[in-house]
Amino acid sequence: MTVRKLEGTQTRLLQKIKESLDSLNEKMEVIIELQKHSSKVKPTPEIPDVLDVMTLLSLPDHLRKTAITLCKLEQATAEEVAEQTRRARAVESSYLNQLVLMGYLKKERRGRKAYFCVDKEGENKTWQK
Amino acid sequence: MAKIIAVHSYKGGTGKTLLSLNLAVLYANRGKSVCLLDLDFRAPSLQSILKVKNADYWVNDYLNGVCDIKKVLADQSKTHAKRGKLLIGFANPSTEAIREMSAKDRKWEMKALGRLLSLKNTLLNDMHIDYIVFDTSPGLQYSSINAIVSADLVLVVSGMDISDIKGTHRMIDELYELFEKKTGLVMNKVFADFLSSKGHRQELAKKLMNNSNLPMVDMIPCYCDVLRAGGTALFANENPDHPFIKILERIADTIEKL
Repeated sequence: MTVRKLEGTQTRLLQKIKESLDSLNEKMEVIIELQKHSSKVKPTPEIPDVLDVMTLLSLPDHLRKTAITLCKLEQATAEEVAEQTRRARAVESSYLNQLVLMGYLKKERRGRKAYFCVDKEGENKTWQK
Repeated sequence: MAKIIAVHSYKGGTGKTLLSLNLAVLYANRGKSVCLLDLDFRAPSLQSILKVKNADYWVNDYLNGVCDIKKVLADQSKTHAKRGKLLIGFANPSTEAIREMSAKDRKWEMKALGRLLSLKNTLLNDMHIDYIVFDTSPGLQYSSINAIVSADLVLVVSGMDISDIKGTHRMIDELYELFEKKTGLVMNKVFADFLSSKGHRQELAKKLMNNSNLPMVDMIPCYCDVLRAGGTALFANENPDHPFIKILERIADTIEKL
């Protein structure tokens, strides 16, 4: 009687394990299908970071001031920007470098001076950051 | 002193073009060299008012990098100015040009901003122009914001409509102040009763100023004669004694002091 009961419990347990494995299998197949499907979707093209007026509006106040000044000067050193904004050269240098890292400006070394200019060709793509 | 004035508004039909044109003519009649540019590429108007049928080059061409600004500017001094110099750049009114301008991408708009900013050097320094007036598109769009960034002073024109007033408040907070732009307010087409006493005027001015410290440049009543002319008469020349022009003369004086 006891042996028969034990066998019955074992069979039910095995049945449950089988059901769980089947369910897991089904889920795995769905995941594999989903992965196959998602790999067919083309990655979104990278939009170059462009310093247009809408971007200027979205910048924090301190960076906007620097960015607008550089737009007006076309190309300038941190010192030349600082003359216009009446902030310290070191401060402007830091802001200009932040804008370079964000992909909005280009930095060029000429001799001992570093010149910043607006990246008009949009060469600095977001993936290059 | 402001040399580059952008006339802007939240909504269309506030009288930007009529104000810009008459203001430019008034400065020219004072013996100044003035350059007026139509930057409303979605609804170009100046060429209709001045009955100009065609132009060799449009402001669109300058912003597209096709030509320099000198080729765009039509000398209207003989026909529309009594003393000084009046140069006008028209926007291309063809449907194709309007469609093309509204489909420009961010990179193009960035270059257009650079070209507008460089006008300061070309027109003010090289060509010795005294005033540049930008007639802009209403609302928040690339062409008008580019003009605002390039200007020394923004003259914001609002009507009495509540949606116009509220929109102007938003632009003060979220546009002109962010760009740290010198801004002056003008209320146009005001119902005469609202200007009948000093108290009424102050109340109306307060409504538009909305706790900002911006100067209320002037309030212009709604004149039937101006509306009746339907943009076909250049009041600054044809009707210089009209109260509308007297107020514009006052606005021209105020701008010189701002």
